[in-house]
Amino acid sequence: MPTTNTDLIDRYLHAVKFWLPKAQQADIVAEIGEDLQSLVEEREAALGHTLDEDDVAVILKKRGSPLKVASSYLPQQRLINPAMLPVYRLVLKIVLCWVFVPLFAFVFLGPVLAFAHPGEMLLRCLVEYWRAAFMTVGMVTTVFALLDRYQVKFKHADDWNPRKLPRVPGTQDTMTRWNHLAGFIFGFAAAAFWVSLMWQRSEFAFSGGTRLILGPLWKQIYWPVLGLTLTGAFFDLLSSLSPRWTRVRSRVRIGIDVCGLVIVAALLKAGNFVEISGGNFSAADLANKVAWINGMIDWTVIAAGVITIFDAAGAARFLLRGKRAKPAAIPSAM
Amino acid sequence: MHTNAASSELFDNLRLELRRGCLVVAVLAQLYTEHYGYALRKALGDQGLAIDENTLYPLLRRLESQGLLVSQWREEEKRNKRFYRLSPLGEEVLPDLLEEWRQMTAALERILGGRGIASAAECGGPRKEEK
Repeated sequence: MPTTNTDLIDRYLHAVKFWLPKAQQADIVAEIGEDLQSLVEEREAALGHTLDEDDVAVILKKRGSPLKVASSYLPQQRLINPAMLPVYRLVLKIVLCWVFVPLFAFVFLGPVLAFAHPGEMLLRCLVEYWRAAFMTVGMVTTVFALLDRYQVKFKHADDWNPRKLPRVPGTQDTMTRWNHLAGFIFGFAAAAFWVSLMWQRSEFAFSGGTRLILGPLWKQIYWPVLGLTLTGAFFDLLSSLSPRWTRVRSRVRIGIDVCGLVIVAALLKAGNFVEISGGNFSAADLANKVAWINGMIDWTVIAAGVITIFDAAGAARFLLRGKRAKPAAIPSAM
Repeated sequence: MHTNAASSELFDNLRLELRRGCLVVAVLAQLYTEHYGYALRKALGDQGLAIDENTLYPLLRRLESQGLLVSQWREEEKRNKRFYRLSPLGEEVLPDLLEEWRQMTAALERILGGRGIASAAECGGPRKEEK
């Protein structure tokens, strides 16, 4: 066999060897080399002449790239057991949710409280979210990879009871889930708006020297409103994850609504929400404007109170009717 | 609607799955008598079961690691060759595997016969798409 052919095969074998585990390199490469030599000899015998470099190159090309050949000898590895993939996805979703929501509060609301520039706030938010996502996914994946590597078996996988399986979700559940998710987003946006608008604020200054001075009640209700809004948002988040948690949800919802109504009542009782100072207004004009603004806030608070009452009534009706979702009918086995 | 390429890829994947188990049985059965890798591949190919080198050699190593085959490097025709043959464990397992294979084939034949599908040609060839 010409030197060039041997050289080509040697180079090929050397390239395959590079990708193989050290302990098996010599053995596998010797076997592949022997197979290639046998093939070349057979071709040469059939053609009646020695193969040239191009012929050998065709044979090697047909055999496949060194990486492909080497990989066929390697064990089919996986990072996570396919049987555990659904659990992995679920854990990842839960952990990401528990990391991102508090992170949102610290990273997004933190700079708002400190009156940071919106651009800086957004950038910081993106950086922190990306870092948190990367670390969370990495850690969860590592844990599952270790579980797979050390062949940790979950008792639940084999020891399960068909009677304890969750019932089939109906369309009502799906709708409720989306409603709660929307409630969570709205609640968080409302909390962020409340913080950015009212944090350590005693007045709003307008052009022309006009100042809208907030009544003392706003300072008193600042934290209760924020706390209640965030509680409602978190509760909606939990409810969206578990829409069948209906009775507990109804009770907590009523509790949140009652607290909201207490705030509404306190606002309505205080009555005098804002004063106006500065600006070139006559006394009568100023009084009219103050009355109009206070009236508008009054009606807004009343509207919020009515919505809260309806919300609480809906939850109470659910509780009174004892409407616990019945298990869906499961067709009998054939 | 499946494109031809998608249908062809699907067929290739199904074929690969179908062949995977068959190749194990064929290799074990062929290695009742000792062969080295190249000769084994030729022998299987001559009997209508072509097998790619990158499939055969890793399969041989896997079967050996499972204790179904034994191998030995030996010089023949001035070259070192690795000869494989069934191990005692392989000799014990193979008849059971073959019995399983026969039962599966018989069951499949009954299913095909019951549906009036005697051969691929009768249902328009294995690759023909239904309209």
